Amino acid sequence: MHIPDGYLDLPIAGIFYILSLVVLGYSIYRLRDEKFTPLFGIVAAAIFAAQMLNWPIPGGTSAHFVGGALAGILLGPYAGALAMAVVLTIQCLVFADGGITALGANVWNMAIVNVFVGYYVYKALERFNRSIAALVAGWLGITLAAIFAGIEIGISSSFGYGLTVTVPVMGVWHALLGIIEGVITAGVVSYIAAARPDVIEQKAAPGKLALGVIAAMIAVSPLFAYAAELVGYAEPLENAAEIIGLEENPIYEGLLPDYTLPGLDPYVGTLIAGVVGTVIVLGLGVILTRYARTA
Amino acid sequence: MHELLERTIKEASSYFQNFLIHEYSSKSVLHRIDGRVKLVSTVVFVVLAVSTFNLSKVITVLLFLLVISAISGLSIKRIFERIWLFTLFSFIVVLPLSVYNPLYGVIFTLRVAASLIAVQMLIMTTSFADLCSSLRYFRVPKTFVSALWIAYRYAILMFRELFAILLTRESRRVSKGSHMDVWRKGGEAVGLFFLRSFERAERVQLAIEARGGNVIEYRGKIKKLDLIYSTIVGFTTFWWVII
Repeated sequence: MHIPDGYLDLPIAGIFYILSLVVLGYSIYRLRDEKFTPLFGIVAAAIFAAQMLNWPIPGGTSAHFVGGALAGILLGPYAGALAMAVVLTIQCLVFADGGITALGANVWNMAIVNVFVGYYVYKALERFNRSIAALVAGWLGITLAAIFAGIEIGISSSFGYGLTVTVPVMGVWHALLGIIEGVITAGVVSYIAAARPDVIEQKAAPGKLALGVIAAMIAVSPLFAYAAELVGYAEPLENAAEIIGLEENPIYEGLLPDYTLPGLDPYVGTLIAGVVGTVIVLGLGVILTRYARTA
Repeated sequence: MHELLERTIKEASSYFQNFLIHEYSSKSVLHRIDGRVKLVSTVVFVVLAVSTFNLSKVITVLLFLLVISAISGLSIKRIFERIWLFTLFSFIVVLPLSVYNPLYGVIFTLRVAASLIAVQMLIMTTSFADLCSSLRYFRVPKTFVSALWIAYRYAILMFRELFAILLTRESRRVSKGSHMDVWRKGGEAVGLFFLRSFERAERVQLAIEARGGNVIEYRGKIKKLDLIYSTIVGFTTFWWVII
């Protein structure tokens, strides 16, 4: 479910960066007085380790879980979202699992939608049956997160498939895998509720206003993405150049305009331009290397 | 339970070797460039790669990345070892569309490949401590960066703890157990593991309070080498724009 670089249009990636930063920023603000940092760190490391477990499925395959809903239930939605964001950032910056430009979208799906939906579904259903509440929370959290990922890449014109393909593929597949997520979440929550009920019950409920705003943000985030796409698939620097008229009236044609030499056959010109470009890069590289050796 | 253990060991061993990457590839020039410069450069390279479907521009980014890697002493072979799988996956994903528009399939795959190379150049040459302090320099909140640093340092330890719990349960088992049994016992084991993680977090918090937490701040200065590398990145961007 980790979206890599290249699958999302930049405006959409930008929108989800902003949305994620707003919610994570508010989460940090809400937790500012609590000495929680090691808890985020250690529980993030624990989620990271638990994601390594490959649960066997009859038939020879296996699956691992994401842990978003579990993080929300164990830590509360704010700390849970932060712990999951920590996991996703490490996966991006250490394992290249999920793209740098797509990190905002990945955090939105797996650290915010998954955690907040998982937490509130659990809270809404726990009075009936704790295990079933955790199972539904785990299943719905991961399924919705996958549907959001499907919407994000489906709206992006960079990815050739439309919403009619991406949402069903992501949604149906994760709705099936989500059952595993739900069962693991239920197993873990049931055990902890029996062994240390205080861990689960101590969570302070967030205010209704904050909950309403975050729920509204989750609900309308696909519209934000759609609006960003309506603005147009952007090639930012090219668009900027077009807007200020650089394409029609170049300020500087370059030494080798259009990768050719004026007056030469285009193919020979392109070849020479390529060689010149490569020599320039090599030259800069050699300078860099020599400097590094002597520095 | 043995099935759970066996599959997990295979998964984890291939995954955790990434933690050691900084140790065995610490000879390139890129290692000596400031973490902040590399972080920004990576973002620039990725944005250049993914913000266009112009083949010349994508190939330009790809070539610059490969030339920079080769000249600075990074192993191109190792980079390819780390990116080929996902590049191939991306190609296969868009293969049905490539039947009607082959150029789209090629450009899409090259965009992904260029982005992956840019990120691998960062990962293979920058320690996580450098990345964390660079994030602090760019005003990422202290709470988040400290949690990142703790999570990174404790990841292997926590995995070993989880593994020890699973191994202990496996060693005490007398019957083979069904799939249901694996799931039930596994759930209990992971539950216990999370309880232990809370207890460890509490101990770490107390230790931090007792000894004084180490504040992650950036103290390095931009060197000439960093300026030269920034110039190369700027030149790549300039070249990308004028094509």
